[in-house]
Amino acid sequence: MSELDAALTVFSQEAEELLTDMEDALLLLETNPDDSETINSLFRAMHTIKGSSGLFGFNCIVAFTHEAESVLDLVRNGERVIDAELISVLLDSKDHTAKLVEHCLTQPDTPIPAELSAVSERLIKQLTGRQETAIQQAAEKSSVESEGGGDISTDDNWLISLDFHYDAFRDGMDPLSFIRYLKTLGEVKEILTLAPDMPTGDDMDPENCYLHIKIAFQSDATKQTIEAVFEFAAEDCDIKILPPNSKIEEYLRLLDQQADTHVQRLGDMLINVGALTKNDVDHALQHQHADSLTEIEVPAKPLGEILVEQHVVQQPLVDQALKKQEQTKQKLASEANYIRVDAAKLGHLINLVGELVISSAAMNLIVERHALTDAGDVAASMNALVNSIRDTALELRMVQIGETFSRFRRMVRDVGKELNKDIELYISGGETELDKTVVEKINDPLTHLIRNALDHGIESAEQRLAAGKPAQGTVQLNAYHESGHIVIQIADDGAGLDSERILAKAIANGLVKADHDLTQQEIYNLIFAAGLSTKDQATNLSGRGVGMDVVKKNIEALRGSVEIDSVTGEGTTITISLPLTLAIIDGFMVGTGQDRYIIPLSMVDECVEMNPEECEIDEIQHYINLRGQVLPYLRLGDYFSNQIIDSNNKRESLVVVKFGQVKAGFVVDHLHGEHQTVIKPLGKVFDNLKGITGATVLGDGNVALILDVQGLINSAIKYQSSSFHRQIKTNLSGERK
Amino acid sequence: MAIEVKQQKNGVIHLAIQDEMTIYSVLEQKQELLKYLKTAKEVQIDLADVTEIDGAGLQLLMFLKQEALAAGIKLSLSQHSKAVVEVFELLHLSNHFGDPIVISADWRTS
Amino acid sequence: MAKTIMIVDDSASIRQVVGIALKGAGYDVIEACDGRDALSKLTGQKINLIITDVNMPNMDGITFVQEAKKLAAYKFTPMMMLTTEAADDKKQAGKAAGAKAWLTKPFQAPTLLDAVSKLVLP
Repeated sequence: MSELDAALTVFSQEAEELLTDMEDALLLLETNPDDSETINSLFRAMHTIKGSSGLFGFNCIVAFTHEAESVLDLVRNGERVIDAELISVLLDSKDHTAKLVEHCLTQPDTPIPAELSAVSERLIKQLTGRQETAIQQAAEKSSVESEGGGDISTDDNWLISLDFHYDAFRDGMDPLSFIRYLKTLGEVKEILTLAPDMPTGDDMDPENCYLHIKIAFQSDATKQTIEAVFEFAAEDCDIKILPPNSKIEEYLRLLDQQADTHVQRLGDMLINVGALTKNDVDHALQHQHADSLTEIEVPAKPLGEILVEQHVVQQPLVDQALKKQEQTKQKLASEANYIRVDAAKLGHLINLVGELVISSAAMNLIVERHALTDAGDVAASMNALVNSIRDTALELRMVQIGETFSRFRRMVRDVGKELNKDIELYISGGETELDKTVVEKINDPLTHLIRNALDHGIESAEQRLAAGKPAQGTVQLNAYHESGHIVIQIADDGAGLDSERILAKAIANGLVKADHDLTQQEIYNLIFAAGLSTKDQATNLSGRGVGMDVVKKNIEALRGSVEIDSVTGEGTTITISLPLTLAIIDGFMVGTGQDRYIIPLSMVDECVEMNPEECEIDEIQHYINLRGQVLPYLRLGDYFSNQIIDSNNKRESLVVVKFGQVKAGFVVDHLHGEHQTVIKPLGKVFDNLKGITGATVLGDGNVALILDVQGLINSAIKYQSSSFHRQIKTNLSGERK
Repeated sequence: MAIEVKQQKNGVIHLAIQDEMTIYSVLEQKQELLKYLKTAKEVQIDLADVTEIDGAGLQLLMFLKQEALAAGIKLSLSQHSKAVVEVFELLHLSNHFGDPIVISADWRTS
Repeated sequence: MAKTIMIVDDSASIRQVVGIALKGAGYDVIEACDGRDALSKLTGQKINLIITDVNMPNMDGITFVQEAKKLAAYKFTPMMMLTTEAADDKKQAGKAAGAKAWLTKPFQAPTLLDAVSKLVLP
């Protein structure tokens, strides 16, 4: 038996089954004419037979079943009433179809006999003969419905809802124009024009647009295309476009076919299958964002829920997308393939990549120096490759901080028990990634800070209750990325720092003089000074006075910084900022004289040429006035070489750097531009060198120093304030330089 | 005058709008028409000379209908111009206003 | 009654191409070579859509839109701004001035007709 024969056998069986079902369905309808499922199965029978007959080229069957299908489609859509007469015609049609099928299967090569085609014609006439009046009836019925504001049928229609804003007419937007245009894309099945907010009498401003229009629209156009119709009205109208229910199946199928190689966001998935447009998702996200701003206590609503509420997508689609998302996640998790790699090997690779970056810079230099234009293209593409190798290599060492965070759960529980305090640890941002070498080194400082929070920060349950706080204390660990750094926060809701006591202790220890003029912030930061513990009785956990200074030192060794903020009675927040990696950074190279320096690019705010119009330098009070902004500054040449260079004859540039909220200016001779910097740590010998954190080898073999921006900013501020004090003193004593 | 009073008798007023009904004209037309609506018992509006109508004009007709309903006045539209019929058909609004519409044969050919 | 569209652009070739496309589709077209010229041609006649370039000598498109919106006969006329891909701020400025529709240059005649017919069918 050939493949075709086999297929024909299947077709014959299928047709027979479908026709039997059809007969049953028709008989059922006689007693129960409104059963939509039965009507549907009738339609499907004709539809399927038509489809498969077409495949085999049985055109006589296609022609006949097409008519029957059309009539049943009308019935299905409620546009034609099924009555005893129609049922008997359909029963005849069913018998006739069986005969046609038989003929095509037994004598495929002979044309259809005249008597059969005569029956076809007669039945078609009977089937369609009443159609004219039926459509009229249906049309009347539907317009009555829309008059009453009833629901518009959604099965095969897009539902478009246009709520125009008052200014639409004034902006030249005529709703009628858009509907006229819409009609070029498909058929407007039903349309409702409402003006629900139109005031009465004199209050109604006829130049305001009060119109709300709802349209049932039949079209094969995509959601994107339909949305584009109203593109110009976007500002003057709330537009909602709901895909037809019949499209849902298509979308569901597409959703299922979405690649599961990576987890996609819900919105992206629905955009990809065409169920939503980017505008829909953007609006919903805005809505979500606005909600989370107004209702702080309530967690933000899930996006899917908002989308369904806004009537831009149906619930089943959202459900399916979420299911798919979850499946993909699980699949990826189960498939996740890891290779254990010796960390030393990885370190070696990264070192090699570092050398590669340097040699690539050297090559560029030579290409440029000898003006080798044809080599330039090759060098440029190699550069791009080296850059991506660098990023990928560094990414290999990136790990999520979550694991480090969760280790503290146990500690918080144990310590809480020991101290007889009920403390809950909340973790967020655990998916934030940073270099493994940084993670390893941050563990100790974090342990210390959390112990401190548990021991000193959170009060005993009695004290908390007396202060009107819940008995259970909380410690929050949070991590996030910010401008090339990772920020880790440890926040407790304890008593806060006691600045009086810190100060008293600091004065007793001789750290500050009694006549200090420290700000609150500076007082808090005193706890990072050596030999200061505010807890009068040291416990065995923390508070021996060795700690906070070590914490600060460890963090600074990672080129990071730590800050503390506290509100008395409400708690303390410690913020640690760390670079993402210790190996390679994007730097900005500047020069003074023959020396070259690297500033981490993430810390460069702007570069300006020093011209009097934009910035004025005040050498005496030691500040720069940059377009009205007062900045402390350092002349890098002076600072590092300690020789005063006559600056008047040179053209200098100003690099504005920022660290956190603090800004300062570095005055330099040359701006060399961005530079990929492979950090080479400096030896122990250079430990006491102020203002430098490392060095790098340049393409031409020279060494450039990497600046410790934070340290230098502090120096600049000191210069400014000391010269300010000096200035006041000079003024007071009447002396002039 | 854009609105002509063709007949006024026993509280029945017969008006004809003889201008476009667009965003440029609705402000004036609304004030004028609302005045008649406040005094009459029955208002008939002849739309034969409405050469052009846009969303604002349509909205004004909907407003008049709403006002008339609220005040218990009988409002009827007649002699719909081609432009008005086109808009009514576009928005399937003929039933909303409920007035018989006579379609001239010569529109189809133009 | 044919609808009338005004095209304002300092490039004669763009005016010509736009003019031909619009006339071919059944619109009446008024041409102006810059904002000032366009204002002088707004004499009270009915115009259903104004399409204007942004960068033009004598008076730029944004100022022209603002001025045209002050004229009683054109304050509600839809305005379409011709912008370039890169100038999103211009698009925003145009929208703020009252030109809610836009078309990105360079465009071809079918795109133009498509955009125009969303606002005014011939």
